[in-house]
Order: sequence, then C-alpha cells, then structure tokens
Amino acid sequence: MGNVVQRQTRGALRFQLFRKMAGLELLSDQGYRLDGRKATELRKFQARMGVFAQADGSAYLEQGNTKALAVVYGPHEVRGARSRIRHDRAVINCQYSMATFSTAERKRRPHGDRKSTEMSLHLKQTFEAAVMTQLYPRSQIDIYVKILQSDGGNYSVCVNAATLAVIDAGIPMRDYVCACTVGFVDETPLADLCYAEEGGGVSSLALALLPRGGQIALLQMDARLHQDHLEALIEAAMTACKGVSKVLDQVVRQHLQEASVPSAE
Amino acid sequence: MAADMRLPTIQKPVSLTFSAFDRKDLVVPGDVITSDTGFMRGHGTYVDEEKLTASVAGEVQRVDKLICVKPLKTRFNGEVGDVVVGRITEVQQKRWKVETNSRLDSVLLLSSVNLPGGELRRRSAEDELTMREYLQEGDLISAEVQSVFSDGALSLHTRSLKYGKLGQGVLVQLSPSLIKRQKTHFHNLPCGASMILGNNGFVWLYPTPEQLEEEAGGFYTSLEPVSVSDREVISRLRNCLLALAAHKVLLFDTSVLYCYESSVHHQVKDILKPEVMEEIVMLTQQKLLDQEG
Amino acid sequence: MLKSKTFVKKTRSGGVMKIVREHYLRDDIWCGSEVCTECKQESTALQRDPCLESNLCSYPHYVIPDTNVVLHQIDVLEDQVIRNVIILQTVLAEVRHRSAPIYKRLKDIVHEKEKNFYTFTNEHHRETFIEREPGESANDRNDRAIRVAAKWYSEHLKKSESDTGPLKVVLLTNDQGNKQKAEESGLLVYKCEEYIKSLIGNPELVDRLALSNDDKNDITSSKVLFPEHLPLSRIQAGLKNGTFLQGTFRASRDNYLEATVFVQGEGEESTEVLIQGLQNLNRSVYQDVVAVQLLPRDQWVAPSSVVLQDEGAAKDDNEEEGEEEKELRVSAAEAARKPTGRVVGIIKRNWRPFCGMLNASIIKGSTRHLFTPADRRIPRIRIETRQADALAGQRIMVAIDGWPKHSRYPNGHFVRSLGSAGDKETEQQVLLLEHDVPHQAFSQAVLSFLPTMPWEITPEVMVNREDLRSLTVCSVDPPGCTDIDDALHCRELDNGNLEVGVHIADVSHFIRPGNAMDKEAANRGTTVYLCGKRIDMVPELLSSNLCSLRSNVERLAFSCIWEINHEAEILKTRFTKSVIKSKASLTYAEAQMRIDDTTQTDDVTKNLRGLNKLAKILKKHRILKGALTLSSIEVRFHIDSETHDPIDLQTKELMETNSMVEEFMLLANISVAQKIFDEFPDCALLRKHPAPPPSNYDILLKAAKSKAVEIHTDSAKALADSLDVARVDGFPYFNTLLRILATRCMMQAVYFCSGMDSDFHHYGLASPIYTHFTSPIRRYADIIVHRLLAVAIAADKTYPDLMDKQKQSALSNNLNYRHKMSQYAQRASVAFHTQLFFKSRGILNEEGFVLFVRKNAIIVLIPKFGLEGTVFFDSKNKVVPKVVFDEEGPSLTVEQHTFHIFDRVMVTISLDASNIQHQKIRMSLIEPVVPGVSVSAPEIEPLAKKPRLDR
Repeated sequence: MGNVVQRQTRGALRFQLFRKMAGLELLSDQGYRLDGRKATELRKFQARMGVFAQADGSAYLEQGNTKALAVVYGPHEVRGARSRIRHDRAVINCQYSMATFSTAERKRRPHGDRKSTEMSLHLKQTFEAAVMTQLYPRSQIDIYVKILQSDGGNYSVCVNAATLAVIDAGIPMRDYVCACTVGFVDETPLADLCYAEEGGGVSSLALALLPRGGQIALLQMDARLHQDHLEALIEAAMTACKGVSKVLDQVVRQHLQEASVPSAE
Repeated sequence: MAADMRLPTIQKPVSLTFSAFDRKDLVVPGDVITSDTGFMRGHGTYVDEEKLTASVAGEVQRVDKLICVKPLKTRFNGEVGDVVVGRITEVQQKRWKVETNSRLDSVLLLSSVNLPGGELRRRSAEDELTMREYLQEGDLISAEVQSVFSDGALSLHTRSLKYGKLGQGVLVQLSPSLIKRQKTHFHNLPCGASMILGNNGFVWLYPTPEQLEEEAGGFYTSLEPVSVSDREVISRLRNCLLALAAHKVLLFDTSVLYCYESSVHHQVKDILKPEVMEEIVMLTQQKLLDQEG
Repeated sequence: MLKSKTFVKKTRSGGVMKIVREHYLRDDIWCGSEVCTECKQESTALQRDPCLESNLCSYPHYVIPDTNVVLHQIDVLEDQVIRNVIILQTVLAEVRHRSAPIYKRLKDIVHEKEKNFYTFTNEHHRETFIEREPGESANDRNDRAIRVAAKWYSEHLKKSESDTGPLKVVLLTNDQGNKQKAEESGLLVYKCEEYIKSLIGNPELVDRLALSNDDKNDITSSKVLFPEHLPLSRIQAGLKNGTFLQGTFRASRDNYLEATVFVQGEGEESTEVLIQGLQNLNRSVYQDVVAVQLLPRDQWVAPSSVVLQDEGAAKDDNEEEGEEEKELRVSAAEAARKPTGRVVGIIKRNWRPFCGMLNASIIKGSTRHLFTPADRRIPRIRIETRQADALAGQRIMVAIDGWPKHSRYPNGHFVRSLGSAGDKETEQQVLLLEHDVPHQAFSQAVLSFLPTMPWEITPEVMVNREDLRSLTVCSVDPPGCTDIDDALHCRELDNGNLEVGVHIADVSHFIRPGNAMDKEAANRGTTVYLCGKRIDMVPELLSSNLCSLRSNVERLAFSCIWEINHEAEILKTRFTKSVIKSKASLTYAEAQMRIDDTTQTDDVTKNLRGLNKLAKILKKHRILKGALTLSSIEVRFHIDSETHDPIDLQTKELMETNSMVEEFMLLANISVAQKIFDEFPDCALLRKHPAPPPSNYDILLKAAKSKAVEIHTDSAKALADSLDVARVDGFPYFNTLLRILATRCMMQAVYFCSGMDSDFHHYGLASPIYTHFTSPIRRYADIIVHRLLAVAIAADKTYPDLMDKQKQSALSNNLNYRHKMSQYAQRASVAFHTQLFFKSRGILNEEGFVLFVRKNAIIVLIPKFGLEGTVFFDSKNKVVPKVVFDEEGPSLTVEQHTFHIFDRVMVTISLDASNIQHQKIRMSLIEPVVPGVSVSAPEIEPLAKKPRLDR
C-alpha cells in the first residue's frame, strides 16, 4: 500500500502547485466545457411567471445556478421627483440587487454599490430600447431584479427574468429582450458562461438582443479582445440569444395557456 | 395555536372548459398577427414593416377591421361609465388624486362631487380650503369614470348618491380583467352583505346598510360596531373572491353568490387551503354551467 | 439530446466557502470504437481489431491505464506498439494537475492518429459519472470512477458484434487496492509491469518501464543517505519569512560535489549561493527549482578549483565519498568565502530525458546498471535493463523516475537507444537532444497546412501584390544553398538615380498565424545548420522549394525597394509584397567572377556591378559611423561524398560579394526595423546588441599592451578605428588575432519586444535600431517581422498575439534561447567533425598562436583549422613543472620559458579517445622547447588516400 500513501501526499502537493500554474481548462479537446456542456449549449432554464400577486408583473428565472427574481410595477404615476416626468413617454426605473447570500462570500451591501448601480443603468438602457414607453406618457415603470444565487451571467439572467416580468405585467414591448453572456476561449466562442468560466480569464461579452428583428439592445464588454474575433463572438452571442428567446417563448406560451381566462362569453 | 404548514405545490386552475388548451388566438410580443394591411391597429399591437405585430402576450380580439391584443393581466383601462373603487393619494387645489389601479392616478375634481347642501351649490374658495375635511389621503371612495384625458388619466365623479366615501368594510384588490361588465356593480347579496365590484379590480365588501333611503353619498361614515355575524359573512366573501380569482373565474354577483353557497360547509379560514379552494371553485363552476344550460 | 443533472460540489478555501457548480451528464458521448453500432459517432479512434498480442490477454482488447500508470509509464505509452488505448477524462484531468510536461506528452499521443488513442469523457457520461461518497477520498473516488468507466466499456462492447468474439477492455493499474476492487467487480485488470512483460514481440519495452515504488525498496539499502525534503507548505512559509531562498540549481560541470543556486532577486539583483557536498546538494538535479537555506557565516566556503568526477564504477551506496568531500573542504578553507547553503526542498523538478551511456554492472547477468549522462552536470542514474550487453557502447536515452532518500543515485528507466557511440548519426542525435533542438520529422498536423502541389500563383494571391516579374533579379548565396531567402536587383531610373530592391521570400504568406505549422516553426525558432545536415524550421517543401527564390521560377516575395543616388544616399523607401522571377542564382564566387570579368555585359552582371559599387559606399558610411568589423574563423569541411566523412578542413574565405549581399541585407533590416517601430511602437520585434561593460575589454587591452598597441574602447567607433590601425611589423596575423579577441569581449545580440525595453541600440552595427527581416525561411523572428510589416503596409491582417507585447516578449525569449542553443549545437557539431577529421588524419604538427594564458595552461589557436586547443602544463600522471603566472602581463613562465599572448608556437595535434563519451583534441607543445613539457615532433603519417575536392 506504500504506493497509495505516496500518491496522496505527492498528489496534493502537485495539485496545489499546478492549479495555480495551469488554471482551468475551459474547453477540453473533446469539446466539452467544465460543466459538460458543448461550446454552444445553454444552461438549463427554469422559469415561472406571475409569482407575486401584489406586483403588476413578476417572474422567477433559473439559468443553471444563477437564480433571479424580477418584479415589475407599473405603469403608474411618477413617484418622487416630479422633474423626472416625461411628457412623451414613460420613464423606466430599474434597480438591480444581489442577495447577501447570493455569492460564495457573503456580500456586505446588497445594492447601491458601484457594480449594482452600473448594472441598474444597463438594465434601464436595455428595456428603454424594448418597451413601448411612448404609449404611457407621464408615467413610470419600475423593474426590480434581485439575484438570489449568482453563478455567472448575472446581467443576462436579469434581463431574461425582467423580460418575463414585463410580459407578465402586460406592458407592450416590441419583442422579447433576450440576453446572453458569451466568452472567447481557444478561438471558440462559449455561450452562456458560468461563474468558473467568467473568472477564468476569458474575454466575455454580454449582449441583449431583440431576436426577431435582430436588433441589439445592449452590448457590453470590458475585456480585451482582438477586433478580428469580435464579429464571430457577436455572431455566437446572437445565436445564443435566439436560443434563449426560444426557451422564453415556450415559457410565456405555457403561462398564457394556463393563465388565460376561459373566454366564457 | 395550531398552525397549518404545507409544502409548496404547483396549482393548476380548475376548469371545466377544456377548450382553453392550444388556443390559436394567443400571441406573445413580437408575434405577427397579420401581414394584411387592411386591418386597423388596436391596443397591444404595433406595425413593424407593414406587419401587424403583437406587443403584449394575450388573446387576439377582432372587431371588424380593428385588431387588439388583450393582455392577461394589465392595469385598469378605464372607460366612461365604469364604476371604480379607489383611494385618495393626494389633495390638490380643486381636485383629489385617486389611485385606481390605472396607469396614472385618476382625478376627482371638486366640481364633480356632491357637497352637502344641495347638488347645485357653487364651489366657493372656502370649499377649497375644507376639501381635506371631506376626503383626505387614504380615504376610499367609489366613483364613476366621467371622462378620459388625452394622456389616459381618468376623471371621476361621485355625483350620484350611490357613490362617495366608503365607510367600514374590506377592500379586495384583484385583476381588472376578472371583473365582468354588468348593468350594475352594486350588489346587496342575499347572504347579508353588500359588494361593489369596481371595474378597476378593486372590490369593496361592506355590511348592508340598514336604511337605504338615508342620505348617502355624503362624507359621513358610520363608526357603529359591526356585528360578528356580518363580519364573518364579509370575511367569507373575501376568501371566496380570492378563491375565484386564483382560478380565474369571472366575477359577478351570481358567481360570487354561488361560490359563497358552496363554501358554507367549510370554515372561513379553510377556504384558502388549495384543496378546499379547488373544490369550492369546481362546485361554483358546475352551478354556473347548470344555470347557463 | 442533453439530459442534465445538477449536483453540488463543495470545496473549502480559506474560510468556509461553498462552491456550487453545475455538472451536466450527457447521453451523447460515444465510445469511440469502430465495432460499436450503437453509438452515433462520426469518427472512431479505436480499431475494429486491436492487435496487441499478449500472453496474458490472448483476446482482442483495448487498454485503460489509470493515472499513475500514465504518470510513470508515459515512455511506454509513447511506444508505437501500444495502440488502442482509452484515456479516461478522469485520468487526463489528474495528469494535468500533477504534471504539465506529461500532460502535454499525453495530449500529443492522443492527437496522433496512428496511435488510436481515444479520450472518453466519462465524467460527463450519464452512466459512468459517480458522486463522491461520504468518507471517500478524492483519489479513491477517481479510482472508482476509472473502474466504473472500465466496467461500462466492457458491458458496452459486449453488445457489439465482432468476428473474433467480443472485444474486451483491460484495466492497467499499479495500485494493489484498486486492482483488488476491480477484480472483485469482474474486470480484467493487470499491473502495468505484468501486462507489458506479457506483450509478445516487444521485449525491449520492458526496459522502458519506470521503476515502481515496490521495486525500489529492495534495490537499495534502507540506510537513509539524504535529509528529507521539506513539504511545500513549509517551503512556502520559509520563503515568505526569508529563511529560505528560491533559485535554479546549477550543478558544476567539473565538480560533482559542488553546485550553485542562482537566486533571482528583485529587479536586477541576483545572487548565487554555493552548495557543497552530497548532503547539502540533497538530490537536486541540474535545472531544478529548489529552496535553499543559507548556512551560518562561519561555515561558508569558497568554490574549489578541483576537478572531481564521480567515478565510483558501480560502488552503489558506499562510504568512500566522505574522503573526497573532506579533501574538498580543506582546499577551500583558505580562499575567499562565498555565501554557502544547503538544499532543503525541491520546488519543481525539471527533469528531461538525458543522453548518455551505460556503465555495465560488473556483476554478470545483473539487470541493474549505472548510466552516465553526456552532460557532466547530471548525476549518474541507476536503471534496470536486460539488454545491457546490447546497449554497451551505445548512446542511449534515460529518464529519471525519482530519487528516494536512501539511494545514492536517482532511479530511472531506459527510453530508447540512439545508436552506437562515435557513429556520426548517433552523435548528431545526441548533440541535437542535448541542445534541446527540436529535430523530429514534421507531424502530419503540421504538414497538413502545406499548400497542395502543383502550386501556382492564383489571382487571389495577386491582391495587394506588385508584379515585379519583369525585373532582373538575382540571388547570391554560398554554394549548395537550397533555401534562398534573399534576392537583389538594381536598375537605373529615368532621373539618373538607382533603384535597388531586396526581395525576401514571402514565408508569412504560407505560414498563417496560429496553425500547427506556425506553432511548430515558432517553437523551433531557427533552422539549425550542422556539418552536413540541416534541421529545418519549416517543412522542406517550403524551405527548399516554394519559398526558396530559385532562378527562373515565379516566387512570392516581400520587397524592400529604395531609390538611391550614386552617392548611396537613400531618397525613398517603400515596401511591398510582390511576385518575382529570379534570373540567376549565383554563388559568391560566380558573382565575383562576373563582376571581375569585364567581357560580360549582360543584365545580371550590370546589376551586380551596380550593387557592388553601392555596397562599397554603404560599407564605408557604416564603418565611418563606427560599425565594427570583427573576426572569427569559420571552418568549412570538405565532406567525402560517399562516406560523408570530412576529408579536409578549410577556413571560410570572404569575398567582396559576401559583403555586397550583407550590406544590402543590413540596409533592409534597418529600414524595416524603423518602419515597424514607427507603426507599432509597443510590439515591434527588434534586435539589439548591448554595449559590453568596460571590464569585458580588460583581456583585449592587456593583450594589445603586451605588443605596445593601444586600443580605445570608449565607443564602438573608437574601438573600430583603433583596431584598424593596430599593426605589428612582421606579424601579419596580429590584426586578425586582435579582432578575434575583441569578438570574445562582445555581448550576445538578442531579440526583444519594443514595448518591453527602452534601449534599442545595436552596438556592433552602430545602428540605433535593427531587426531581422531577411531570412524568414530559417529564422522565425523574420516571419514575425514580415507579419508586422505586412500589417503596416495594409497587405495583411493582424491577429491578437502579434499585438500582445507580453506574448511577443515570451516569443523573443524562446527565439533567443533557440538561437543560442543552435549556435552551441553548431559549435558542437564542428567540434565533433574536427575530431573525426583528426581521427582520420592521425597526428599533425601545426603552427599556432597563443590566444589566452591561463594559470596552468595556454590556449592555442591554429589559424589553418580555426581550431582552438589547450596545452596543459600539469597533467595528472606527470611531474608538474614550475609554473609562474603573472596576471598583469598576462604571461606564464614555465620553467625558463615565458609565454605571452600572441606568441607563435608549434604544437602537435592528436585525438584523445580515452573517454568515449567525451573525446577531445589533445595538443602538445613542440616549439619552443621547454624541457619536461614539450614533446618531440612525431612523424606525420602519410595520408592513405589523397583527399578529393569537394564538389
């Protein structure tokens, strides 16, 4: 049994050493990612619409282990500063927050930090592009999103959850807004990154798409990527977003079937 | 005190009409309804590259050349003549702001209310100062939609004795789409309580007033204690309303009454238990079908 | 198609942290076998009938090795015999964590088609994934996962039909516990040794087996010889608080009991720690990264000047060492002391396979032998082999498996034989391996990126390319050159000026960034020229055909075209990709003849004359600016065309045309360097030659002074000028000798990335900026420069690595390393051929000059052969004469005679073949006659055969 003992000690030593040096292999030669998906495969979706009775619209979405709750209030009278009133359209108010227990290390501030503020702003921009705000002058639409568990692609999951909530609230939109985070590894774009992949030094890009028209609602990227690869990456992101839209479509139709009032009259 | 705890379960609304499945007239945002340009664009649709496209998820309704999509759930879209129940949110000059589950707060003008001392009284500056004495923030009122402003806000009036400030009772907030339009939305139910089914989805339950002829529409609220039996009836009604709403049954006097009747075997607090709820709603629907047929 | 399940993995790091990761299980992972009809796979790796004949398993079978088998027996797995192996993902991941080099080798094997290796992604397969059970260690879980996967395979393959009965899988493991459990679950399982030994027809594979731990126990005595290595955690703690230092272990070439550890300090600071004695060396091997602890100051010693070789033949762990060590101490005690330490732990082993020879054991029939590596810095290695008799006298390769603390020598295993020692082929192999020159044939993956033949210029190629086929372009190269990467033209323009073009093979057109061929070329870095052999950087089709600018064929080129006036001032410079058709491929001598022969007036000759004229002016300008003309003697062998043995040795002759071509190449390089630096200030790949520190010149100054000549070294120009005027009457060779000495003072020129450095100066060429552009066929740096230039003139696209200065910098480090190694290899090759030459010529008496004077020897240069040798005055078995060394002179007085630098001497040259691994040229003094030292001139044996001239 001498063999086994030695193997353990040496294995442990080497392991510590090489994990630092080698990093994680994000895409194996056989084309599988860390969690067993292929490059273009999305994570598992689970969604429910109308989870709250009080809110005008609400939705819960799980994309793999990233879980988000979105709630929509409105359109309603503008609360607070009257100066925000727009006479030609509704204002959209977004708030992004992360539950303190959503990450591996407990968060101190659930919202209001720089990252959350930025994310809120991104969400606002995304939905201003999709919601037909001009139909509701002088009013306000609130979109609150909370990440309950974070495992990568927070922005995308929030957008997708918020889309469902907005639809649930019966607020007119041009189209679904579908978002997906993609990364670039070994000349291959990976769709729907999980946390381990996002952290693995991948240049990642988040894209929100109105799938039917192919318009981009928001494209965000803060990593370095060579220009030549950008097109391929955006292409992959669009494909992934279309995949997301198919899943969301199913969810919405299912919900419609279940929730529609039987037209008795 | 014994508490009843249970695990979350997915509830399917009970329905006796199975035709609800695979309905073709359900659309989601972005769905093209028709590319025929002969149609007119209604609510919940927009035109994208000459194609009539849905902007909300719901059912398509066609009236002649007009195509609308009615979302499942939406804020209240008031029309002239609708009965609403609302809550005062703000007192302004010559007007009250009323929250009516509409996308903008509704307006109740000082000139659209009956003030004590005759219908045709002039509104004086003094009245403006005492507005808060008639109605203040938080008060509930029933009213009728008088007109709709261009931005979609509603103007209300209470120029009828049936409208006015609401006294003791229970407010139930439901989806406006569940309220069935009827001739009257004021019901004195035989079970011993009254109900205002506001078109905006707000339902007001209150003990049936003793003298109907008494000068109502005023701003007087009775603070007399309500008897336990009345309170129980009102509570039962409230729970019945919630049960019906949970299963998407249209609300009108008969459906509420049938539901009330079906529930009498259960204790009031048990009505909200899913299995009881299901049973009661089933019975109600059965009764409704029987009545139709 | 995707069934997913999520599961929870918990890991702790630092505080309590729960990490949850998804793990999708799939049912679309196929088995990879040709036989299988169930799996819907597109390609299969495992053959229908795997032909591994074994005594143990007479049925057709696939092999599944476990992690330890892969880690320890990678040499066996690499053998061509071992095929149809299933590598499980679990194994691959474990190997990856535990050894990066083995992981790379494993991946290489998997990629090789003929090996029929298949990687099975068992961790993501629905039926083979297992969860770690409570109380189960990670290793046990992995072992179980391997068993489950093996089980799955055997069940799965049962279902498929085969002519020879169902295929089976055989699990290989060296772990007793694992083996037992596998047997219990009905698997076919063998120990790796058992299995390999059972293979029919491959007895030599057994030798390549690494020793497993069980075997080691019984060879060595249980006596502990070395202190235990500290665990990594303690080392790290020690490094942090400063008690230990981390550094690279460098064994001494001359003394096996001594080494230094090179500690890279912060910034430029770095120190060397001296290590003496076996105990303190503590099983470190050359190039290991080790942790050292400094000894107290009173135990510090000075490096000894004694040459000690580990010669105990097969005296396994005996105790005589003690004496040698003592001897070492005493001799060291008096002199200046240096920081001394001891190795406390190994941070990273840097073992590679070593070349060397076997010292057969004295005991007949013994299977354990010692192996002596060719590199003296590597300790001897104990290996086990049954073919000792066959291997005696052969050069072999051996890999180290481990060095237990109770063993005097590291344990290793035989990898392969290179051939018999002294054989030309073998020796060439050895020197390639020892200098880390990648010399394997190009892999299929690389060759797949070659253009298909017949190749022709298509219109797509002509986009962004100028047609220069009409120009009279010619190339001038050394004779026998097949990889012609430069060609020239020169013509008169209408305005009276001259247009000169340098056309360089457009290699970057064929080698696209990032593909296998590019990666291979980047790794090789340079073509290595050995005597009679060339190790190409790019496949031959490119190097000798498509890229070679041969005459009368259309070739793609990258041209640098100047407009120059007759005073050789550059008026205009432009760069373009082009197509050319060379009119003539000349040798230097041919070109020279044409220039000199006034009767020739053809275009090519006119061209050459124009170029030659300009080159002379350019050279003059350059020298005025302070460029150095240094000298080193290059030798050329005349090789017998049949035996490929060298028959004559000649120093290379330089002609005017050499300098002509060189001049324009320099000009092109400088122009390109400026252009790419202007365009990409952050990531241009340039070449610099730092000015040497003044102390480097000491030897040169002293030497010159001894002949009353003054040399100024304040600047390159001063040096060049003073070298030019340095003459001694009646000693014509003096100037050349001086230049040879000056060359030795110089620093190494290096590639670097412009974004990472601020000093660009090229000292030798006296140019503020320089790069390599003109030889893309044989240097990878030039390819990068071509790519940069192509982007700069918008003829090609850029790619991320090209613009990344970190990567660029890493690349230039590799190129510098390869360049250095190739030079060493080249020198070693020359040295070997020189030996061969002297072997065939017997003893020779020649005239030479004293180049250096050392404490106990003089170094003599034989100009005729460009050969340098050492004449020792104290050899082991002779009486040591009285030797007085004067450092100021420097001069050496032996008995009565005093030797100065540049003294003319006569020596006799012979081959010392007493040590077959390290043959050397021995020189002995004939003239001046010093009693007791010099020898009488031996008779020169007449040559058996008249040497034929080289064609």
